[in-house]
Amino acid sequence: MYLYQLKIAFRNIFKHKISSTINVFGLAIGLASFILILLYVVDELSYDRYHKNADSIYRLVSISDFEGVGEESASAPFPVAPTLMNEFPGMIEKVIRIFNFQAPRSLIKVGDKAYNERNLFFADSNFFQVFDYNFIYGDPQSALNESFAVVITKQTAEKYFGQENPMGKTIRYQDRIDLMVTGVVDQIPSTSHFTWDFMASMSSAKTFFRGSLPKTWVWNPCWTYIQLKSGINQSQLESKLPEFVKKYYYDATKESIRLYLQALTDIHLHSHIDYEIEPNGNISYVYILSAIACFLLIIAIINFMNLSTATSSSRTIEIGMKKVIGVEKWQLVFQFVGEALIISFLALIFSLIIVEISLPYFNVLANKQLSLSMFLEPFWAGVLFLIGFLTGLLSGLYPAFYLSSFQPLNVLKGHFDGGPRTIVARKVLVVIQFTISIGLIISTLTAFDQLHFLRTAKLGFNKDAIVYIQVTGNPIVTKYESFKNELLANPDIQAVTCVDDIFGVAHNTHEFRPEGVPEDKWQFYPALVVDEDFVKTFDIQIVAGRDYNRNNKTDAANGMLINEAMVKYLGWGANENALGKKFKSLSGDERVIGVFKDFNATSLHTTLSPFVLNIKENENEKYFFLKFIAVRINGEKNANTLSFIESKFNQYAPGRPFECSFLTDELNKQYIEETRLSRFSLGLTILIIVVAGLGLFGLVSYMIAQRNREICIRLTIGAGMKEMFLLFSKEYLWLILLSNLIAWPVSWLLLHRWLESFAYHINLDIIYFIVAAISSIMLTLAIILWRTISAIRSNPLKALRWE
Amino acid sequence: MIKAEKLTKIFRTDEVETTALNAVSFEIKKGEFVAIMGPSGCGKSTLLNILGLLDNPSAGTYTFLDHEVSKSNERHRAGLRKHNIGFVFQNFNLIDELTVFENIELPLIYLKMASRDRRERVNEVLEQMQIAHRAKHFPLQLSGGQQQRVAVARAVIAKPALILADEPTGNLDSAHGEEVMNLLNDLNIIGTTIIMVTHSQRDAEYSRRVIRLFDGQIINENFKKNYI
Repeated sequence: MYLYQLKIAFRNIFKHKISSTINVFGLAIGLASFILILLYVVDELSYDRYHKNADSIYRLVSISDFEGVGEESASAPFPVAPTLMNEFPGMIEKVIRIFNFQAPRSLIKVGDKAYNERNLFFADSNFFQVFDYNFIYGDPQSALNESFAVVITKQTAEKYFGQENPMGKTIRYQDRIDLMVTGVVDQIPSTSHFTWDFMASMSSAKTFFRGSLPKTWVWNPCWTYIQLKSGINQSQLESKLPEFVKKYYYDATKESIRLYLQALTDIHLHSHIDYEIEPNGNISYVYILSAIACFLLIIAIINFMNLSTATSSSRTIEIGMKKVIGVEKWQLVFQFVGEALIISFLALIFSLIIVEISLPYFNVLANKQLSLSMFLEPFWAGVLFLIGFLTGLLSGLYPAFYLSSFQPLNVLKGHFDGGPRTIVARKVLVVIQFTISIGLIISTLTAFDQLHFLRTAKLGFNKDAIVYIQVTGNPIVTKYESFKNELLANPDIQAVTCVDDIFGVAHNTHEFRPEGVPEDKWQFYPALVVDEDFVKTFDIQIVAGRDYNRNNKTDAANGMLINEAMVKYLGWGANENALGKKFKSLSGDERVIGVFKDFNATSLHTTLSPFVLNIKENENEKYFFLKFIAVRINGEKNANTLSFIESKFNQYAPGRPFECSFLTDELNKQYIEETRLSRFSLGLTILIIVVAGLGLFGLVSYMIAQRNREICIRLTIGAGMKEMFLLFSKEYLWLILLSNLIAWPVSWLLLHRWLESFAYHINLDIIYFIVAAISSIMLTLAIILWRTISAIRSNPLKALRWE
Repeated sequence: MIKAEKLTKIFRTDEVETTALNAVSFEIKKGEFVAIMGPSGCGKSTLLNILGLLDNPSAGTYTFLDHEVSKSNERHRAGLRKHNIGFVFQNFNLIDELTVFENIELPLIYLKMASRDRRERVNEVLEQMQIAHRAKHFPLQLSGGQQQRVAVARAVIAKPALILADEPTGNLDSAHGEEVMNLLNDLNIIGTTIIMVTHSQRDAEYSRRVIRLFDGQIINENFKKNYI
């Protein structure tokens, strides 16, 4: 019986070439997209789960809230980790810190090889007892026990030492200390919320702090991870943290600081706080992509349902006869579901081929290393089978019940009529397909518009043609004035300044005490440590007072620039009122010399806040804080100017690798998730339109085929192309209009919510709704026109004779 | 074999109520060849459908092989049909996607007969119907007469006790029609009960009894002398 059913299934597939192709092709596209997004989502959800104790590891997060200004920091002060361990030995199994001097790059030299490395950290000695990595050489228990020890990755070992065994060899860090390789680990899994190439022992960092790690409870540069003891849960420890803050934090800050724990496995998708080690993913985007992929599959499934029921008239004899000879309904249901499963698994095979071909491109887009090998694991192979099975089942169940419910008497007599219910159901399914398609067209256009807005919005400073040169710990900082003057001698260089972070991307918070705030109440305000000409370089508008002036000797020591928001925040009224106000910092008593117009100091996901531009006078402070030199050049990406800058850099910092980037590129990196989402959703939307269009093509084809006799009669009595086109168009046009009516408000609501997640966003533009409506109508009319012309070109008399 | 008592069938639509059969009673014994005749719309096909367990009557009782089936559910009726009734239709109703062999084999598949037994039985019937040379052809490659032979072969393949034929020669020329009627006659001679709906007096001549219907009622029952 099964062989017979298989035979009839395949013969039906080949007999109905158009619908079979649409079904297999549509389902294959739907399944391929689904599988690609599944690979992506599984990868996103698997972050940090490879650590054996992942479920009991948490990151300590601190919220500093100084009357609405402050930070939510992923890192904590140095003393927090050991103090927590001492305070809660019954709850904490282990606690570790990692630290990178808040340096974007570290200079590493081995022999004549020198690179600026971005993934170098110092960690407590028990780092490898909390986090699991595959050691090729060395012992995870003891690799970081000694000072000046470093564990490196296999790729790093090859980069510096080739094929030699690197164990025991030394690498020079920042031209200051030598670190000995005590371990080599395999490549860090890409599913890590932070990747590293060098992990040095924390005790090695003491050299930079005169022999002991900082004891301050203010500076918070250490990412602190806690492994809880078995049986202890997150809330148990969290409930103790307020007391801990009260007991150990300084009086000036303890009222404003709250600590909490963040599950390790939640960091990648749920954490978007200050001082993340790396930008994280976004769970909302995972949901959005999953939903779009599901929509695509649903649309393909709807095609299958619609075409199966639309073409069912050709199977009436088979169904009728089977019923007549006593075949029961469930047997027919089984047969038709079986046929759907065959189509589905056929599509699954094609989809895997599509996935395999498209994965390299997808990986570039997703910045991942996904592969189909995941499905070799028994669990995922089972999931893949289940996807194919459920797709077949969902596709086949409705047509199966529909087809098996035919009354044999009627169908064998040729009185086959799908019945109003079926026609309504088919139309409902078309409306669902087009509602989804139209909604996605609107959403994709809006997403691109928002992305364009994010990239081009006026930030309150001029971001164009700014070259950022990385100078962390670089002796060039000590010769900065001379270097700057040499650069400015080039007419293509307009301005040069120094800054401690990438402007518009990140900043730190520093402690201040403005006039009017009690002596013991230090406040933490967002700030950039800058140098002279910062305002000029970034074209920031001063609205009251003046910029720093090198000729005014007290500016560096005592001058302070604040933004308008700060003036408002402190309740000083007019901007001019702020001038001359005292603004104590750790450098001493300072005064406000100027107020600048508000700018966006970080991404447009967040609103602007009170902000300080602070200048450092002390050379040691400068050396520590100034990590980038920013150069405004004439014309974006001028190669000659860049090579001039590089030659001057090499002259001032011989042996140091020159590394620069453009500010616009750095700013755009902040929207990498939005860029990815927009591109994914564009791709998926195009596929959805193709699949839905194919479905409509199939339906219109069969509608016209079924009405062949009517077409012929109309043509013979004088109807023309226009009349026929109008006749068929009205069948579908109102469905598309209805789809628009449903899609518009739903899209508006969802997009409105999405845009609200940005502090700065575009307003929803009616034009995108209109574009979606017009494109859906045009697509429908084009398909109908095409099929109408085909029908009219056939010989009407032939059809009449045949009938 | 068949006992119908006051069989009534009423079709209802939103506005119209049509009585297709009006308290029809008769009995058919095993081995009979009965023709049901009457003008279009008199209820012939409705009666045949009820007798073939394709439909239930609105009222009355119908006893088939000692089973009272007038209120049976589809499953019960399907079971009885599968084992006891073969159908022959005016428009053949062959499945275009299946070969002649496969069309004939179809009922045996659902009777779960073993593959080898099926093959033997189908070949036997193909020979009997003289269409063995067409076994691998598809229905659309056959003439009308050949298609109806295949339909008859399919009807008899499971050796049913009853064959119901609805205008079996309606789509055939006279020569092919006669061939099909001879086949039915041969089947009747070997003991198969045949009930045939027909407009054709010539076809009705093959039967041993003619039931005439008009407006859903039996107006005449003629037993042929040689049969009685």
